[in-house]
Amino acid sequence: MSDESPAAADGMLVDQRGLTSRSHRGAASSPAVVATSTVLRQLYSLVQRYFPQILVAGIALSILFVYTTGGLTLMGEQIKNALVLGAIYALVAIGYTMVYGIIELINFAHGDVFALSSFYALIIATSFGGFVNSLATGSGIGLLVALVILFVTTMAAAGFTGMAIERVAYRRLRDAPRLAPLITAIGVSFLLEGFMLVKFGADNVPTKNDLWITGTALTLGKVSIAWTDLFVFATAVALMFTLGAFVRITTLGKAMRATAQDRNASLLCGINVNRTISATFFIGSALAAAGGIVYSLNYHSIQWSLGYRLGIIAFTAAVLGGIGNIVGAGIGGFVIGIIYVFGGQLAGGEWSDSLIFAILVIILTFRPTGLFGVDVTTRA
Amino acid sequence: MILSKRMLPILGVVGIAALSACGTSTTTPSSSGGGGSSLASCQGSITVATDLPLTGGDATDGPPVEKAAHLAVTQANANKVLGGCTLKYVSKDDATVLKNGHDPAQGAANFTALSSDQSVVGVVGPFNSSVAVAEIPVASQNHLAMISPANTNPGLTQVGTNPDVNTTSLYPGAKTYFRVIGTDITQGQILSYVATKELNFTKAYSIDDQETYGKGLSTFFQKYFAADGGTIVGTASLPGTTKDFHTQVADAQSKGAQVIFFGGTSGNGCGILRSQMPASLPELGGDGCQDNKFISDAGSNALGSQVTSAPDASKLTTATQFYTDFKSTYNEDGTESPYTPYGFDAMNALIQAIKAVIVANHDQPPSDSQTFRDAVVAQLHQISYSGATGTVAFDANGDTTHAGFSLYTINGTKWAPKELLTADATGKVTVAG
Repeated sequence: MSDESPAAADGMLVDQRGLTSRSHRGAASSPAVVATSTVLRQLYSLVQRYFPQILVAGIALSILFVYTTGGLTLMGEQIKNALVLGAIYALVAIGYTMVYGIIELINFAHGDVFALSSFYALIIATSFGGFVNSLATGSGIGLLVALVILFVTTMAAAGFTGMAIERVAYRRLRDAPRLAPLITAIGVSFLLEGFMLVKFGADNVPTKNDLWITGTALTLGKVSIAWTDLFVFATAVALMFTLGAFVRITTLGKAMRATAQDRNASLLCGINVNRTISATFFIGSALAAAGGIVYSLNYHSIQWSLGYRLGIIAFTAAVLGGIGNIVGAGIGGFVIGIIYVFGGQLAGGEWSDSLIFAILVIILTFRPTGLFGVDVTTRA
Repeated sequence: MILSKRMLPILGVVGIAALSACGTSTTTPSSSGGGGSSLASCQGSITVATDLPLTGGDATDGPPVEKAAHLAVTQANANKVLGGCTLKYVSKDDATVLKNGHDPAQGAANFTALSSDQSVVGVVGPFNSSVAVAEIPVASQNHLAMISPANTNPGLTQVGTNPDVNTTSLYPGAKTYFRVIGTDITQGQILSYVATKELNFTKAYSIDDQETYGKGLSTFFQKYFAADGGTIVGTASLPGTTKDFHTQVADAQSKGAQVIFFGGTSGNGCGILRSQMPASLPELGGDGCQDNKFISDAGSNALGSQVTSAPDASKLTTATQFYTDFKSTYNEDGTESPYTPYGFDAMNALIQAIKAVIVANHDQPPSDSQTFRDAVVAQLHQISYSGATGTVAFDANGDTTHAGFSLYTINGTKWAPKELLTADATGKVTVAG
């Protein structure tokens, strides 16, 4: 379309002129279109600039609305539900964000690593004649020992799985076009799902750990908080702080941040880039495994297809927090949990999924860097 | 099962060959087909089939019914019910990995395959109403009789009873659909009776699984619960993949619900919902929840659930022989699913209809498959067969003439029948025993 051609002076052209040159606006033949476009443009930049504030205000309003229509108890119950759900999303989201931060790959297999590790946990808890299981239901100390055994072994197993995936499916493609590792990631995702389907069956698998953590921890008003709720939340927060400290303080953490900033420069500085990336996959997958364990302790049943949907929701959390930003992913997980639960309460549960993915679209259009996103070069 | 699937084309060829052989032999006049006819001169092989969900999330629903139907065929052949003719049995699975259970698309594909096999004259199935919606038009166009042992959605047969099902458009051809179980109109009335009269609840929260069956049952429960003086304090409609019901449970509690009603199947979350509810809040459900999957999903929280399902036949004297035979054949007691004897009766009714057709056709199967299928459908409309569960007979719509449902509670780790309830035409529910 050419500006010189008088025949092309239709609404669309005027619109384009309006976008590029302010002086032409007054002379436009269709002022309504221009006015609308101006308003839209201003709205767009407004939303872009105040995105976090708008999001927080929206959430606060929803919570307030639930409070006024359903009362304090309902609000409290739903906040509790949101935090428990959010904790699981946060643990999975961190893996997405770490991998993206360091090799700029959306690791679509990550959700399935989460599901697979929940099966690892089940196997570990029930093998050796159900040793860990009987330990956990025996006494308080026994439960603690059982949890330590379960977390250490499952997280290690999932970590090595993550490393293996990186070694086999991503390492050789590190310098290939962006699309290639993305496709292998999807391939690995289906591979893992197929494996779980064949190995563990299509049905829900009861984890039979209902009796591990039982009872009510405390009652706030009329909201009773179960030990499992507290456990899920505390585990997630503790692991996130540990990871934060790890990345900030240790040499390996420093190497990870350096590799994320500039892989070639890191190589020049003597950082073993391959080992650092392997370690990133190990940690990300181990956190997903922690998510898998708390999931199975909270829901008592797991399924081969679990990772697909939950993975994409966690990915949305990572994008919301600013992909590549670990703290952002953690907070993003909780925010998504709140949106999921309160959206479900206000709009009906059938809308929860749609709402989450609408958020994904909105973030990517208005704020691709997410809430806490920064320039690519400083990501880690 | 895999063998029989692979053999299907072979069976089809054999069947056609056998049927054409029969056609030529009808020239010999046989003794008139009265009740005492031994059908010794009957020649050929006739195929009957089942279409049920056998794998995935429905692995506790379909298989017992399939076994019972298969048993009926085996017994009919052993007892020479069709004289010199033999019955071939084909089993189809309408569950897919994609859906982790019953899949309407797979059901329609199964019926297309069965319809094109000219030796198939009738099918027992399906289990799920959503699958029936996809299968009925195929069966209707191909004149193929189908008897469902478990479909309860009234919209499948009765025009205008379900806004989500266009009953008229389900039957582009002949009306070939029958069922040996009552509809959700009756089940809804009975569930409402249990909730309001027996448990004295006035406030209920209703959740459904968005499927034809679940949504329909939930609608009928809500309608009759309100009519019986109760209040529906809230509703939710969630996809079958839902794993987290905490939001809805909290919502229900805040609205003072005394019970959560779930319209849907165990594969779609009936038991998972129970595991996330406080033990003090009871769950009420329909026949989709009455299976072992519910109990394993609900875990330590399973107690305190009540569901209605097919009328319990395990204590009927008419069913004693069936349960004995089932046990000796499969080494299972057959009481795991209340639908098991209904699969047996549905298949036996089909076999009786086939027999009547052969008898009326001078002791030979009609040579033309279309004629044969039409005659089987006509016979089913007037059948009155004394089966394990009682008399099997159908009204003009193809619905069973004796509709009722049993209430089940969990006793230890198993569902146990509590009482049988029936509803009359005016919707008045009575405890029948």
